[in-house]
Amino acid sequence: MGSSSGKKHKKDKKHSHRSRSQERPNRSLDEEVTLDLTDDLSSTRQKHHKHKKHKEHRHKHHKHKERERPSEVISLEESDSDSSDCVEVPVEQEARAKAREHPVRETETAREREREPSIREREREREPPIREREREREPSIREREPPARDQEPPPRERDPPARERDLELSAPPPPQISKHVDYERERRRERETDREREARKRAARDRERVRGRSRSQSPPAPAAGRRERERERERVRSRSHSPIPDNGAGDVLSIAETNKLRAKLGLKPLEMDTGPSKATSTSSSSNQQESKKSGMEKDLSSYKDEWGEFLHKPADNIKEKKQAEKLREKLKQSKEKRFLEERLARIRTLGESDEETDNVSKWVDRNKRVVNEREEALRKAKELEELDEAFGVTELIEQETKKARQLAYADRNLKGLRVEHDMDDFGEGRTVILTLKDQDVLNEEDGDTLVNVNMLDDERYKKNVANKKLNPLSYGYNVYEEQYDELGNPIERSILEKYDEDVEGQPQKRKNFVIGENLNEEREHRRKLLEIKTKLAGKHLETLQDSNVKLASDVFSAEELATFKKPKKKVKKLRQKLKAEDLEPIAELPSSSNLGSRHGRYREADDEDVDMKDDSKSPQIKLEEDDYDLERVLCKARRLKQKENIIKKPMPIDVAAIKRDIKPEPSDEARNSDGVELTGIDTNIVLNATAEFCRTLGDIPTYGMAGNRNEDSSDMLDFDKNEALDEHMDTNLEEPTLNHGTWNSVNPDEVMQPADLDNLGDDIEERAILDEEPDVGAGVANALRLALSKGYLEKEEKNRPSNTKMAHLQAKNYSIEDKAAGEDDKIGRRDRFHAGPIMDFKDKETFKPNVKLDYIDDNGRILNLKEAFRYLSHKFHGKGPGKNKIEKRLKKMEQDGLMKTMSSTDTPLCTLTMLQQKQKETKTPYVVLSGSNKNNAGVSGASISKFK
Amino acid sequence: MIEITCNDRLGKKVRVKCNPDDTVGDLKKLIAAQTGTKHEKIVLKKWYTIYKDPIRLSDYEIHDGMNLELYYQ
Repeated sequence: MGSSSGKKHKKDKKHSHRSRSQERPNRSLDEEVTLDLTDDLSSTRQKHHKHKKHKEHRHKHHKHKERERPSEVISLEESDSDSSDCVEVPVEQEARAKAREHPVRETETAREREREPSIREREREREPPIREREREREPSIREREPPARDQEPPPRERDPPARERDLELSAPPPPQISKHVDYERERRRERETDREREARKRAARDRERVRGRSRSQSPPAPAAGRRERERERERVRSRSHSPIPDNGAGDVLSIAETNKLRAKLGLKPLEMDTGPSKATSTSSSSNQQESKKSGMEKDLSSYKDEWGEFLHKPADNIKEKKQAEKLREKLKQSKEKRFLEERLARIRTLGESDEETDNVSKWVDRNKRVVNEREEALRKAKELEELDEAFGVTELIEQETKKARQLAYADRNLKGLRVEHDMDDFGEGRTVILTLKDQDVLNEEDGDTLVNVNMLDDERYKKNVANKKLNPLSYGYNVYEEQYDELGNPIERSILEKYDEDVEGQPQKRKNFVIGENLNEEREHRRKLLEIKTKLAGKHLETLQDSNVKLASDVFSAEELATFKKPKKKVKKLRQKLKAEDLEPIAELPSSSNLGSRHGRYREADDEDVDMKDDSKSPQIKLEEDDYDLERVLCKARRLKQKENIIKKPMPIDVAAIKRDIKPEPSDEARNSDGVELTGIDTNIVLNATAEFCRTLGDIPTYGMAGNRNEDSSDMLDFDKNEALDEHMDTNLEEPTLNHGTWNSVNPDEVMQPADLDNLGDDIEERAILDEEPDVGAGVANALRLALSKGYLEKEEKNRPSNTKMAHLQAKNYSIEDKAAGEDDKIGRRDRFHAGPIMDFKDKETFKPNVKLDYIDDNGRILNLKEAFRYLSHKFHGKGPGKNKIEKRLKKMEQDGLMKTMSSTDTPLCTLTMLQQKQKETKTPYVVLSGSNKNNAGVSGASISKFK
Repeated sequence: MIEITCNDRLGKKVRVKCNPDDTVGDLKKLIAAQTGTKHEKIVLKKWYTIYKDPIRLSDYEIHDGMNLELYYQ
């Protein structure tokens, strides 16, 4: 069957390709198989197609095969390369190349290739239905196929129509189809997969066959074939690596051709190794693939596989990476370890013996060596210096430095430069970089000025801010601008000075200073200003240089005492009064070297032992104002106490108590021994026997009762008054005191001091106890006073509401009680109150009272009817008239008053009298009325004086 | 070696093999040899960038299999 078909194909082929070379009939044979299948197309182009298709198959097939049996593939490769289907195109090309050596030819082939796919597709479309039919009808045959495949061409390879016919004849209809639809579907699916597999197998089989043939036939023409094949290989190589799919390409030149072209153009040949297709070997696909695989791993720059598809870069192996990292880490650690160990090995430990230090002599030697070296170095340095001096080098150097210093730009160069900033802007201890200000080149008279750019900016900014703050509505005019600066000097402002800069084009006069000029004066001036300012601000300037620190002491030093000022004492006069001579004639006045003793006024008393007392009192020299006050208060308290004691106790009875009380005055104590009388130094209490007696008789029983006793505070006050009074008295009545000897007498006039008028009553009571009897012989007043004090005369009581005062208001001949008593004698008092409603009230016929109601307001004015009603109404409603009303009324009242006081013959301003006076002065019957001041002076003056 | 496709969309489409370090001018010469137009008349574009003669393909990042637009001036 195969043979016959083969022959037939051969014939066909010969018939169609006569012009072709006869070199490979096997090739054409192979083609026929497929050609027959298509059956209607027989042109070379179609053949070409077939080859293409085969090529495709080959790829698939190879992959398939590889999976199954790689060893076989390798063995097959060589043979494949010899005669595989992919060689076909070049064959054709070869043939054409012989005919015409032109590049155009290649373009044609390319075009053919372009046309190929469509045809191929058509072919494919046609194929499957046929196969399907065939398979459906003959499942059994298909089953049998696989084992037989290799040996003989399958029945399918025959002419399909013929095969069909055969099948139709031989095969019975499949019984299972009608049986079950589902089952059939399953089968169909199976079949489809089978079909695919078979298609692959078929292709492989075909190739096998072809290979077999070519093997058998290749030997006859080895040389030419090899050459050809090599060329083809090259071409294939050049084509196969291209990332552009064949069908999408336009004109292509081979590498060789391109190289030739490049040579002509003067370019270097193409670099072959950089291309993505590294597989220089052959058209064998499996080899290519393998090399691809290895290439991928090595060279990741090629991202495309052989069909121009993108390949993903294989992922990094994390495990390997980690391992590498670990290894590196380990190596690093060990390296460090080694390094550390090495270093540690060099260090000497404590326990280790050291020859140098252990051996004393060696240690000494070493130290000596060190010292020697040092000395040596010093000596050498000295020698060198000497040498320098000898040659005068040092002098030279010094001169140089001096010169350099002189030449250098220093402070003195800055003298006289003007700085265009306020001195205050430069804070102390701050460094400011100043630059020369921009100026006209020709403008030399102004000299150089220094500015700081930043400070200029600041100033501008400040100015801008100030401008912004100005009220735009008032055109930059500030009414409340300060007229005086902080020192009170008026600030001079020119008119519209804000335009000065704009109009004159000159910048405003800036505060500036010149470096190095009258710096001290300036500083002094500044300090003064500052002082004034602080004074104005009410601050106190403190210097940090404080007065030297002194050790605190309780005692004044001699200088301090010299500067110490004794507080003035008011009691000075008292001392005069209480002169020691008055008491005792022994006293020589102590020296005035009394160092401010507060006991000064008692000094006269203890004059017997001045020295001793001075010693005893020396620690008390410390004098304070407070002490003085305290002393005064104490004194007062003492006096109070004395007084009380005096009052409470009769004198002769309790001498000891008195002694105790007046202890501070030893001199007095001494005198108290006679027990007759006692005098407090500054009390005005005067006691005599008769007064005491009277007191005990009359007033004591009442004293101490409620209301009769003086309050303590008032007592205190009294004593203050008394003290003042004493002084007053002392000044006035020096004579009497002298006359009376040591005893003070109370002047009865003093009792009636105006300060005491307020509480006169109290005073009277008090004085009644204490005071001397007024002298009756002096006058009637005194006699009266005496009488009053003695109680001969009763003092009228002001406050008691008395009947006598209102007597004139009482009814003279009538009283209701009288009437009631007179009328109803029978009815008792009680009945009289309870019988009201029963009895009718009987007026007395004769009684005709003249009643007049006067209403008086708060000011005591008598109100008329209207006003009275208003007043009542206001009272009743609890709501007074408004403020305006009150004022109005007051005004009216005033006017009324004026009207009443006004004289009836004159105007209210008394012009008439003035006129008359004037006339009297000038002695003229007239008065000149004129506007001039001179003439009017008198009149106006009079009027003014009147108004005043 | 890289292969570049150049297409004017009027019927000429060429695949040119060249080195990545060739200049655009060289590429134009190669194209000219294949298509038969003068190389000075060729303009190569990709979108709106016109490739300039003295610059190398690698600098323009022209890779293997790229498609350039072919225009004439």
